[in-house]
Amino acid sequence: MLKVTDLEAGYGGSVVLHGVSLEVRDGEAVVILGPNGHGKTTLLRTISGLIRPSAGRIEFDGKVLSDMSPADIVATGVVHIPQGDLPFPELTVLENLLMGAYLPEAWKQRKEKLEQVYELFPVLRERSRQLARSLSGGERRMLALGRGLMSNAKLLMVDEPSLGLAPFLIEEVYRKLHDINKSGLSVLLADENADHIAGFADRVYLLEMGSIVGEGTAEDMLKNEALLAAYLG
Amino acid sequence: MEKLMQAIYGGIVYGSIFGMMALGLTLIWGALRMLNLAHGSLYLVGTYIAFTLVNILKVPMVPALLIAALGTAVVGFGIQTLLLNRILGKPGWDVGSLIVGVGVGMAIDQSILLIYGPRVKQMPPLIPGIFKIGRVVINYNYLVVVAVAVISLVLLSVFLSKSRHGLAIQAVSQQPDAAQLMGIPTRTVFLIVMCISAALAGLAGALLSTVYQVQRESGANAMVMALVVTIFGGLGSVKGTIWAAYIVGLLQSFLMVYLGAGTALPGVFLFMMLMLVIRPSGLFGLGEAQRL
Repeated sequence: MLKVTDLEAGYGGSVVLHGVSLEVRDGEAVVILGPNGHGKTTLLRTISGLIRPSAGRIEFDGKVLSDMSPADIVATGVVHIPQGDLPFPELTVLENLLMGAYLPEAWKQRKEKLEQVYELFPVLRERSRQLARSLSGGERRMLALGRGLMSNAKLLMVDEPSLGLAPFLIEEVYRKLHDINKSGLSVLLADENADHIAGFADRVYLLEMGSIVGEGTAEDMLKNEALLAAYLG
Repeated sequence: MEKLMQAIYGGIVYGSIFGMMALGLTLIWGALRMLNLAHGSLYLVGTYIAFTLVNILKVPMVPALLIAALGTAVVGFGIQTLLLNRILGKPGWDVGSLIVGVGVGMAIDQSILLIYGPRVKQMPPLIPGIFKIGRVVINYNYLVVVAVAVISLVLLSVFLSKSRHGLAIQAVSQQPDAAQLMGIPTRTVFLIVMCISAALAGLAGALLSTVYQVQRESGANAMVMALVVTIFGGLGSVKGTIWAAYIVGLLQSFLMVYLGAGTALPGVFLFMMLMLVIRPSGLFGLGEAQRL
């Protein structure tokens, strides 16, 4: 469904991604592994249209995303949950979630979607009237995931879901993401260590210095510990 | 007792007017991170549309107010689509948007001078007549001004906090990157904000043309008070701006009644300076990053 071919992108004059190609198939959970500062976030931001690629092609369900606006890209079903969550701090949890369903199609189904999100993240129901800035780190992560799920997403792109969380919370976030994936949504996830890909990822890409340097099923990658160690340290 | 009532009454009138002007300014700051220096000139556009309709074309006052608000919104639409969109999202937006504001402001002010000449003009009140509570003179016209201002402030607050598009405006103001990732078209939101802000300024200008004389200088005065109120309330905060409008309005009115008209403006500025020393980001300021 998502097909990225020879993608080049960067900020201003400096190129960060040097011809990245990858693919996410229907219902798959794919993880991009790579050290910090090697282009994972840039890759996701380019797919969601926040950064214009300088070369290459991004296709999703037969539509070319590379020259669409971020709003049109969301409408195709590619939804990006950004690094650091980026909640709307002065809106309540409920209002944050509603903004996830901003597009007309999703807005019509906002009540049902809200119920589903509350079911998955009961803490958000408890906090629904609180301002987002008053949430703890773990709650903010849940809010970011819930807000993403309020849309009509077909592919959920999650940037570093483990960033800055305590280990038991990281476990919980990955469990939720696994449930989301099993409910039929494709997931493309970026992370900097391989601790959580067992039992979660179908396939793994290794991204180093803005290039894909390795690719394989999660089992193969985990067996090949030497490779992982070399790239991730 | 009468002095106290007089002061409160005046404060509510001033506060309502300041609120309308300042809210437009703060919305634009929140969404576009632009200090719209043409805001006072948009106020003048409203004033002179109302003047043209009522005094020259003999249109009744109520439709004239609506047309003035709409007409000013169209001017705002033009400023956004023809000028601001060209520099939006490019380096140098901070300075560029200021220059657009100054330029548009001058163009509007001078056009008005060319078309209407330098003479001060007078408009009839919306509803003539007065009544008295004790010895406090209440002017029907002021009551209408307050009512229209309060209704528009309430409607706008409800729109911003309850509707899909209103929440989207807040979302874009608070976290533009995330707003884009929700599928919110930021440029459309900017355009809506500019039109609402211009309509408010135009409506304020049209309303106040029935209270003050019609003259070019009134735009700059309105702009200054709006700026004081927005800085006082914390730029970008809607709630803070509405509170600040009434606080500054009451302050100005109390100074006028108890210490004389001459102390009002210096007093308000002194108060603003003290306030900035104590709370640099304003009464309800949204923190360091969003300050001027």
